[in-house]
Amino acid sequence: MLTLSDIAYRYPDAAKPVLTGFSLRLEAGRVRGLLGSNGAGKSTVLGLAAGWLKPDCGRRACAVQTAWLPQAERLSFAFTCLEYVLFGRAPHLPYLAVPQGDDEAAALIALERAGMANKADRRITTLSGGELQLVRLARCIAQQAPVLLLDEPTDMLDPAHVVQVADIIRQLAGDGCAVLLTTHDIHFALACADDASLLRDGSSLADGPAAAVLDCANLERAYGVPFRQQPVPTPCLPGRT
Amino acid sequence: MTRETTGDQARARGFFLLGGLILLALSAAALLYGRYPAPGFMSPASLFSDPMAGDIVLLIRLPRLLGAILTGAVLGAAGCAFQLLFANPLVDAGFLGVTQGASFGAALAMAAGGSLWLIFGSAFGFGLLALSLAIVLARSIRFGGAVLRLILSGIAIAAFFAAAVSLVKFTADPLRQLPDISYWLMGGLSGMYWELLALCAPPALLSVSLLVLMRWRLLILSLDDGTAASLGARPRLERPLALGLAAIGAAAVTAAAGPVSWVGLIVPHLARLLLRSDGAASLPASALGGAIFVLLCDTLARSLFSVELPLGIICALLGTAVFFGLLVGRRVQVTRN
Repeated sequence: MLTLSDIAYRYPDAAKPVLTGFSLRLEAGRVRGLLGSNGAGKSTVLGLAAGWLKPDCGRRACAVQTAWLPQAERLSFAFTCLEYVLFGRAPHLPYLAVPQGDDEAAALIALERAGMANKADRRITTLSGGELQLVRLARCIAQQAPVLLLDEPTDMLDPAHVVQVADIIRQLAGDGCAVLLTTHDIHFALACADDASLLRDGSSLADGPAAAVLDCANLERAYGVPFRQQPVPTPCLPGRT
Repeated sequence: MTRETTGDQARARGFFLLGGLILLALSAAALLYGRYPAPGFMSPASLFSDPMAGDIVLLIRLPRLLGAILTGAVLGAAGCAFQLLFANPLVDAGFLGVTQGASFGAALAMAAGGSLWLIFGSAFGFGLLALSLAIVLARSIRFGGAVLRLILSGIAIAAFFAAAVSLVKFTADPLRQLPDISYWLMGGLSGMYWELLALCAPPALLSVSLLVLMRWRLLILSLDDGTAASLGARPRLERPLALGLAAIGAAAVTAAAGPVSWVGLIVPHLARLLLRSDGAASLPASALGGAIFVLLCDTLARSLFSVELPLGIICALLGTAVFFGLLVGRRVQVTRN
């Protein structure tokens, strides 16, 4: 559904490229986790996959629409949850059109799927961090894009909200969406992602099935610190089917 | 999945219905109130029985009434648009130097002894030049996001044209030109006759109409560049275009009425407060609210005392009081970014 081939990208004014020779392939119905240390280039990959960053060389191939969930975003106005989720309908509307009943119905279904239907008229500025993340995810669902690009969707969420987000992501994959997500939560990635890519210094370190890629040796190479298997209490994530 | 009309939609309908009725009632009062034939309201029947009364209403009060409505509608809509485009509820059309540029253009034309056409054209042209300079300057700033760069360059351009206005005043003839320039800079609609209205109405109407049409698109442009782009917008192209559209209207009414401050800042807040929504209805509501606010201020300006007060002073006095009330009541929400 979406392919990045041999991509290189350097930000304006940056001394060196943040990505070099990076390739990635997203397939329908599969979730791919993208992991790597801070500054490794994960968010840049999402920007390139979304198409709003243009690669210096290499090629992006994507014939379908993408929905993008940024790690954080500026919200300067107190939109209601429904007004905010309706933004996801923008790609489906003519330039100067205002959302109509069908769009509102799609937005309400998206809020329902995110478990936030009862908060449709609440202002987003009054939501908790977890609730806001679910509403932001609902905006991506309302976009009805075949490819979802999620930048650290569980960042700063409590275990209950992590479970909800993972559940939604697996449902979307079950519906045939291709999902690319970045995360630092290895347990979440192992439970939620079918495939994984490990990034180090702007290049792909390992790529393949999540369980094979996210082992201690690869993680140690990616993050530069030792890893070991250790049983700890973890929330019951929905897991792959 | 559908649901019944929401409270927000019902409130918006109520707002526009009530606002429309208030504007109509205020318009009728403004047409009939004045100092002819005696201070107070004239009888509607006298419009047909007294030719002088008919002329006063048709040639003086009606163009002034329409000018006040247009000025308020444009400043309200442009202020709301600027706040959305800057993702900052504390900006208005003066933020990119449009008002100061227009003031400089008018002052320069007056100092040169220009005609009505020249004064309007110069004010309008310099208002748009200020915006263009702010956008060009923003592109050469090497740090910060697009919005921060625009704000910084706008502050610099506004300060530059404010200084240029002072320079024109300093060099103007103190007996003939300086009083005219100083009075114009206080803002007012006393010179709003049909000729001037015909000059400012086309760009002002174009601006406010297109902004109302873009009301939902502007909400998308209030989001981060990346988020807006992922929703199909092209923020780096659309934001300057929308700013230009808002600035065209602001420059046109400023060129005709002089600087009228506070309308673009407080009216969008009042509209959002009354609608209890920051959604797409807030822009047309700001236009309607601005029209009511400026018409009310102008009617007060010409009827409070035997001598007419400049509109800009009345708007500033009322505006600061309302703004302080909003802040004290925690009605203005400012998020840190």
